[in-house]
Amino acid sequence: MLFHRPETLENAIGIMQAGPVRPLAGGTDLYPGLRDGPPPAALIDLSRIAGLRGITREDGGWRIGATTTWTDIVRADLPALFDGLRAAAREVGSVQIQNAGTVAGNICNASPAADGVPALLTLDAEVSLAGPGGSRRLPLGDFITGVRRTALGEGEIVTALHVPDAPGGRGAFVKLGARRYLVISIAMVSAVVIPAQDGTIGEARIAVGACSAVARRLPGLEAALAGCAPEGIATVVAAADLSALTPIDDVRGSAGYRLDAVREILGRVIVAALGREG
Amino acid sequence: MNEPLPYPAAPVRHGSNSGQPMTRRDGRLKVTGAATYAADTHPEGLLHAALAVSSIARGRVSFLDVEAAKAHPGVVEVITPQNRPALAHDPDSKTLPFSFRMDALQNDRVRYAGQPIAVVVAETLEAATEGARLLAPRYEAEAARIGFGNGLPEPAPMVGVGAPGRAETGDLEAGFAAASQIVETGYETPAQYHNAMEPHAIVAAWDGDHLSIDMPNQAIAMSQASFAAFFGIPVQNVSLRSPFLGGGFGSKAILAGPQVLCILAARMLGRPVKLVLTRAQMYGPVGHRGATRQTLRLGTDAQGRLTALEHHAVSETSTFDDFIEPAANASLNLYASPAILARHDAMRMDTGTPGPMRAPGEASGSAALECAMDEAAQAAGLDPLTFRLINYAETDPISGKPYSAKELRACYMRGAESFGWAGRPLAPRQMRDENGLLTGWGMGSALFPAPMFQAEARAVLRADGSALVETSGADMGQGAWTALAQLAADGLGLDIDQVEFRSGSTDQPDGGIAGGSGHTATAGGALHAAGRDVVARLTELATADPESPLFGAGNSGVTARDGRLVRNDDESRSEAYADILARAGLEALEGTGRGARDPANAEARAMFSHGAVFAEVKVDPELGQIRVSRMVGAFAAGRIVNPRLARSQLYGGMIWGLSFALHEEAVHDLRSGRVMNADLAGYHVPVNADTPAMEALLIDEDDRFVNDLGIKGVGEIGITGSVGAIANAIWHATGVRVRRFPIRIEDVLGL
Repeated sequence: MLFHRPETLENAIGIMQAGPVRPLAGGTDLYPGLRDGPPPAALIDLSRIAGLRGITREDGGWRIGATTTWTDIVRADLPALFDGLRAAAREVGSVQIQNAGTVAGNICNASPAADGVPALLTLDAEVSLAGPGGSRRLPLGDFITGVRRTALGEGEIVTALHVPDAPGGRGAFVKLGARRYLVISIAMVSAVVIPAQDGTIGEARIAVGACSAVARRLPGLEAALAGCAPEGIATVVAAADLSALTPIDDVRGSAGYRLDAVREILGRVIVAALGREG
Repeated sequence: MNEPLPYPAAPVRHGSNSGQPMTRRDGRLKVTGAATYAADTHPEGLLHAALAVSSIARGRVSFLDVEAAKAHPGVVEVITPQNRPALAHDPDSKTLPFSFRMDALQNDRVRYAGQPIAVVVAETLEAATEGARLLAPRYEAEAARIGFGNGLPEPAPMVGVGAPGRAETGDLEAGFAAASQIVETGYETPAQYHNAMEPHAIVAAWDGDHLSIDMPNQAIAMSQASFAAFFGIPVQNVSLRSPFLGGGFGSKAILAGPQVLCILAARMLGRPVKLVLTRAQMYGPVGHRGATRQTLRLGTDAQGRLTALEHHAVSETSTFDDFIEPAANASLNLYASPAILARHDAMRMDTGTPGPMRAPGEASGSAALECAMDEAAQAAGLDPLTFRLINYAETDPISGKPYSAKELRACYMRGAESFGWAGRPLAPRQMRDENGLLTGWGMGSALFPAPMFQAEARAVLRADGSALVETSGADMGQGAWTALAQLAADGLGLDIDQVEFRSGSTDQPDGGIAGGSGHTATAGGALHAAGRDVVARLTELATADPESPLFGAGNSGVTARDGRLVRNDDESRSEAYADILARAGLEALEGTGRGARDPANAEARAMFSHGAVFAEVKVDPELGQIRVSRMVGAFAAGRIVNPRLARSQLYGGMIWGLSFALHEEAVHDLRSGRVMNADLAGYHVPVNADTPAMEALLIDEDDRFVNDLGIKGVGEIGITGSVGAIANAIWHATGVRVRRFPIRIEDVLGL
């Protein structure tokens, strides 16, 4: 097996172009996945490429480098908009996993239960890709296309995520699992709320994970929440159409339970994102 | 070391060592990584073995690509049923009640998923692993029979390790006829796996017809004899070292096919071979706790007294061997009832054979019994603790014998007081905490037998007054290195720092097995007796020697203390051990001891540890999310040798009870028969954040019959009572009685 360790993005793309090679960042999904199958012919370690890791301010928002770890997210000095992402970061595996696992790895692995995806969806994150044909940028919702499937083309890698500013916005995230920690989600909900001047909800962005093949935003509920006063949230959530969610029955929970639980968590997360005590 | 004793000094005489909350003697070795486990052994010329295991549960292996595996660089040999050398002993034979039929490539049959079907031996672990993968087995598969709906029912004349499958007393039908109320209920418990942190590992090396083995082992002398039988060599030709075990819980007490195959590979290839199971491979050939379906019938009179108690368990076992979880026997020894019937049936499935797993039978049986008792208390309108006190057994219900000692009443009282049980509302769903979470309190009684096995020990007093003591004990993490040394030091009348303790190897006298919560009593008893033997010989020397200040004191006239013999009639007259030896011209003085129960006492008395566990749970009313917030256990287990380690053991048991109640379950794919969650991501045990505030109270108990030292065990009792306490607390919080373990969050919402 070949193991490439490029130090520049150009070299990395060159190696990716030259042949079948699997990208490796933190390895926290890749290595366990190798357990029962044949090893890949070649691996390319992206962790030595300067500039791929770290969080920086950019015009109109924030840039999160592809190999930024979950611990980097936890420790970064980020505004309340990122509270949901920070909470999600603390739920990705254990501290050791958070030290190694990367943000881009989480989206590229494209698990329905990826802990980072709902929060990134509510941040309106976009994904930058680089490949033999140049660079491109697309919304996260278009990047993850199915269970373990992404829009990555031949030879392409993720270089960064971009989060636009949302002044006054606050994020929140709740993950429901069968034990307190180190657990695969039964369901999770992330929200970003940008309050209006009068204390009502100006804009709400809601995403639900582990209840569909790909984590979903809920545009209908988001629209219904706009202009909603805090005391009206429960009514709106109770009436919300959750038919976009297609949870499955599995060992972690039944589909029926997942839908019930999501509705309950939605109310709590939206209230939390509005900055009120649940 | 200076922690005050949290309970009054026991009336039995403690030496200066036992009873002290000493820290682990092996603690520094453990935290610095200097403690060597079996897989840390790297003899020169070592080869590595990897198992290929079946991915079907039933059928036969029709093809293995041996050529592809052999062609892989570094692969030395591929062992399959085609070329597997003969064994002196048939792996499908059963010679002892404690030996199980195993899979050692005797044929191409597959009888459970995860069964070894080939061994690949290579110069590196990587090459062996890749070689095993390249075997790419093909099968002729037959339909897997997994789950109670698909199994093969069969009567179970014997359960556990050689216990009868049926026990009864009194007239059951008369009891139910006399009842004013009958509660009939049923509980299901899942298959669970030991999941010791250290996987099963073995390093085997041959020198002629001498075999040397490094492996974690809970039954060193027994394993030595079994391995000798498999390879047709004298018992003394097998040398087995097991200084430390990273947990055993029963799974390392029983030999399994992979170990025999590793030893066989080493003999076949003439080089040492190491085999370490992967986590996934531990869900198959090395035992598990079989699933049960239990039904209970409890008749009570108008005062809430049991008139009849019937407990029936159907326990899962394999298609080719028997280990029937003796769950119904949990009802035999705890609650007074004029009529009791416990009976068992087996359900054969295409799984590996179950085996003893921490509190085998007691854990599953207690879970069902304690919940059923809660249901009966509820039906009678009685507080669960009151109901248990009404049915307190003053003598062993099934045998009528007196207990050797039983401080259960004190456990109930002290536990309830510490927990704050008084004032608990009878009805469920009455309490909420400050965050609006439903809050419930539940309890359960804990009970575990106090067995003893056979052990021997040797003590050698050295010229400088220090001593060497030896027995082949097993430290599974429970603290045997410390507790056994404390008892040895007391037997010798020495401070523990003067005692060198050697253990964990066949070089030493047979320390018996570390199982059944009987290791401290048995091996510790042998060590203590060996020390007393040395002291007796020393006393003979000194009191017969006119030069000694002890001359003429007589054998009963001296006490051994702090390395000196002291005259009982005049404490100013004493002599150091070293001086006695020196004047006698002895370099060393050896004594031996045995640990075993007085048969007369064993016949006359029922011997158990007892306890009471109280639990508080919080349940999210909308999500059903369950958190155990507090557990208080009070346990009476005879003389406590080391309160720090005993509490640690009890906490471990109680947390395992939490794990049983809320988390653990092996989930099978009914089509393939495979365990789908054969890893620690999918097979849940509690994480630290799930672990509540814990208290384990040690209730003083003077047991003059259980053995000379009054020692019972604390290794397993903590699970019993705890599962029921948590399940009952969930009912009390929610009003929902969940009768299937583990209790899922959706269960409490009634979905």
